[in-house]
Amino acid sequence: MSVTTRNSLLDRVWEPFRQQPGSRRALLLMAPLMVFEFFVFIAPFLMLLRISLSKQVRGLPYEAGTFTFEAYSEVLSSEFFHGLITYSFKLGIIATLLTVVLATFYAYAIWRSEGLTRTMLLFSVVLPLLTTLVIKTYAWVPLLAPRGTVNELLMAIGVLQSPIQLVPNTTGVIVGQVYIVFPYATLAVYSVLSTLDWEIVEAARDLGASRPRSFFEVVLPQAMPGVAVATVVSFAWSVGAYAAPGLLGAGSDRTFAIEVETQMLVGFNWPVATALSAIMLVLMFVSVVILYTALNSVGGDVSHGA
Amino acid sequence: MSKIELENLSKSFGDLQAVDDVSVSIRDGELLCLLGPSGCGKSTTMRMISGLETPTSGRVSIGGEDVTDKSAYERTTSMVFQNWALFPYKSVLENVAFGLKMRGEGKQERREHAREMLTRVHMDGYEDHNPTELSGGQKQRVALARSLAVDPDVLLLDEPLSNLDKRLREEMEIELKEIHEEFEKTFVHVTHNQDEAFTLADRIGIMNEGNLVQVGEPSEVYHNPKNRFIEEFLGDTNFVSGEVSAVDGDGAVVETDFGATIEFPLAADEDLSQGTTVTVSLRPEFMSLDAASATDGGQKTAARADGNGSNTVVGTIDTVLYRGSTIRYFVETNGESMFVERSVTEEGELDEGDAVQVSWPAEEILVFRPDGTRVET
Amino acid sequence: MALERESVENALFKAGYGTIFAFMLVPLVIVIATSFSPSGNLDFPPAGFSLKWYSAFFDNIDWLRAFDNSLVIGAGTTVIATFLGTTAAFGLEARRDRWTQLLVPVVIMPLLIPPVILGVTLLVYFNEMGLRSSYVSIILAHTLWATPLVFFVMQSIFQRFDWELRDAGMDLGANPIRVFVHVVLPNVKSGIFVSALLAFIISLQEFVMALFLSSYGTRTIPVLAWTTLRQSLTPIVSVVSTFLILISLVGILLAALATNLDFIAKRL
Repeated sequence: MSVTTRNSLLDRVWEPFRQQPGSRRALLLMAPLMVFEFFVFIAPFLMLLRISLSKQVRGLPYEAGTFTFEAYSEVLSSEFFHGLITYSFKLGIIATLLTVVLATFYAYAIWRSEGLTRTMLLFSVVLPLLTTLVIKTYAWVPLLAPRGTVNELLMAIGVLQSPIQLVPNTTGVIVGQVYIVFPYATLAVYSVLSTLDWEIVEAARDLGASRPRSFFEVVLPQAMPGVAVATVVSFAWSVGAYAAPGLLGAGSDRTFAIEVETQMLVGFNWPVATALSAIMLVLMFVSVVILYTALNSVGGDVSHGA
Repeated sequence: MSKIELENLSKSFGDLQAVDDVSVSIRDGELLCLLGPSGCGKSTTMRMISGLETPTSGRVSIGGEDVTDKSAYERTTSMVFQNWALFPYKSVLENVAFGLKMRGEGKQERREHAREMLTRVHMDGYEDHNPTELSGGQKQRVALARSLAVDPDVLLLDEPLSNLDKRLREEMEIELKEIHEEFEKTFVHVTHNQDEAFTLADRIGIMNEGNLVQVGEPSEVYHNPKNRFIEEFLGDTNFVSGEVSAVDGDGAVVETDFGATIEFPLAADEDLSQGTTVTVSLRPEFMSLDAASATDGGQKTAARADGNGSNTVVGTIDTVLYRGSTIRYFVETNGESMFVERSVTEEGELDEGDAVQVSWPAEEILVFRPDGTRVET
Repeated sequence: MALERESVENALFKAGYGTIFAFMLVPLVIVIATSFSPSGNLDFPPAGFSLKWYSAFFDNIDWLRAFDNSLVIGAGTTVIATFLGTTAAFGLEARRDRWTQLLVPVVIMPLLIPPVILGVTLLVYFNEMGLRSSYVSIILAHTLWATPLVFFVMQSIFQRFDWELRDAGMDLGANPIRVFVHVVLPNVKSGIFVSALLAFIISLQEFVMALFLSSYGTRTIPVLAWTTLRQSLTPIVSVVSTFLILISLVGILLAALATNLDFIAKRL
């Protein structure tokens, strides 16, 4: 196929666009994604809301065409659901705190390193990030089991006399969840750090700040946008944790996500599952907005301190 | 008080020898410029003075005290960075007060102190601005104020003017010199810009490939460059090569490839043998240019029939370049090209195509051996 | 002396990130090691070496079918997400105003919603649409996650692209589509390759949404692995995991060769 025929083909493709002004053409390019987001993201959420307002009925997922707040009042008034929601938030807060502190440290280490070390450190977060949730959770089973690697190691060096229960247990859930969200948090902080100028740290050191002090005085305030994103991502995913509590947790480690799955796929009670999802979304959205504003005000404020 | 001694200072990064056995004594209160092309080790040397870099071997002492094992935040030096390194999330005032905060000064006190510093660099009124809102020259002043606020014994400046445009840079050169006089501190200033070094420095230290090649006052470095590298680095000049054809008690003659002979006096203890290939630097600002028809008079001696003679050569003007206050003439002579500079105020208009005679005074000639070392004249 | 304190600080700093480095990679190494277990237990350090779980994998029709499903869904996601993300990023480069800027948060949003909620939402929706348990439903769900990555990779590729080249092309008389094919495309193709690769890996590894949307016939490798795990811990899951980890590893290497690891890491 010669260049000319390819070009004439391209000319023909171009023909219908010829009359359009430039900005209209740009809009046309964005249209497929806009349509997709509308039909596969926005519309489904409207549907979710609609079904959460349906009547529960035995034998069917929900009764079509009904309108009631029954499912909401059931979720909001039940001790059982309160427990689930509290547990989810507790897990979210603990996992987020651990993740963000460790991830900020690790991102700083990546930023500071160079050459092969940097590549290896980056690799160590990119590989787990691109590994399925199932493996990331499952990997901890042989490690944390009562006769697993960690227990055997601790007993061999004499720290422990008898194995401790790490899995299934809340400890295992937290370790697994931190492992799951850590790569995302690290890269969120790292991508902000990598825009910073190392000279500002040297300037701080030169002006008499010790190393830890120069980190807290000049690096952290600037890394705040990245830390905020890391916090939001870690929090949202940890509150909604499903795999880690499902595989590494005991019966009491029940998050709302596990309950949603059970209601949805086992109990076929769609109104409750969707209402619980909607309530959690709202609660999470509110906490994320509060968190985000709080974190950004720490970093962005010019007038405090001195 | 704050004289700096560098003794056999070396620094290598893996296989790269960035600084190689540098020893120099920087006087109290002087402004020393470290000058050299990029990668010559001047910044690394300065960073070892500041403590931001640890020497591989050698010692640094400031004010008589050995500080080699002290880290940056304990040294009484302060650095102004190439990109100024102002903290973007802090206001101008907070930036200037930062060092004082690290020294544990009280809030009221350090704010007052910082304000005073800003006034001294003419930046009062900008206290609450964010550094990102400032122009290059203003950032420069804030960075200076921030470094001076901690009352360092030594101020280190790492190419702070290189990001400014020419006009602003020249203004800041003068301002820096004034600040140096006002604060009476030892300044070490790193630059790759010759004009900047000659404008600012009390003494210039020229570095190349990790070595400190020559340290001296600007006029000394200019008139007496120690080797060919310095002569080449300091400015545009005509390098011509030739062979030494005769040496007698107090002078030597070089036969050049393009027909002219160059005669110069030779220092008493200088040992130059006949047949050595040398490179001669003829500086365009010392050369004179006359229309070929008017060859009488002046210092043009022993002109031969073809016009070529000792320390003089004939040729044709090839190109004329107007460079503001000077005019640069490129002269074609026996297939070689050389250039001569004249002030615009000089009389006798010359044009492209004119036949001219170029000559130079014997005492302004610099001669270098093949290994680059200078032949004392 | 302060330098001594600094060397202590240095050692602590190195020990700190070294520990995290191990924390990130050791679990994956152990999973791979347990796939060679000679017994039915997940032992580490391994009690011996055997490939019997590998042959068990290749003898099992369920696993092979799940593998096919994963490939079909991955391929579908790659095509759709790469198309949607690239065109939109190109369009956004040409036009930026308040309305088009609104697209960015909408595109990111699916990544910030817990996958279980997304799974429930899409299950309800596709059920209404009559697409339940089809490949299409899972492909569309995965596209929701893969598109933002393609979009951001391509956005930064287009931002780095020297648009004067395009202007020069137009100036020389080529229409915009010709310019795109002859001038823009050759310069951004490595970016498109990396985006497509990432989209594929994301789809291959995604699990929660697939769990909600798949049925017996369309379940993917991670879904089957999860279902198996809920019943018993068997080294066959380690075998599957080893394959998935290797695929990601090769993907990362390819992507790193096409651009560089640092560039990719900042956009994940």
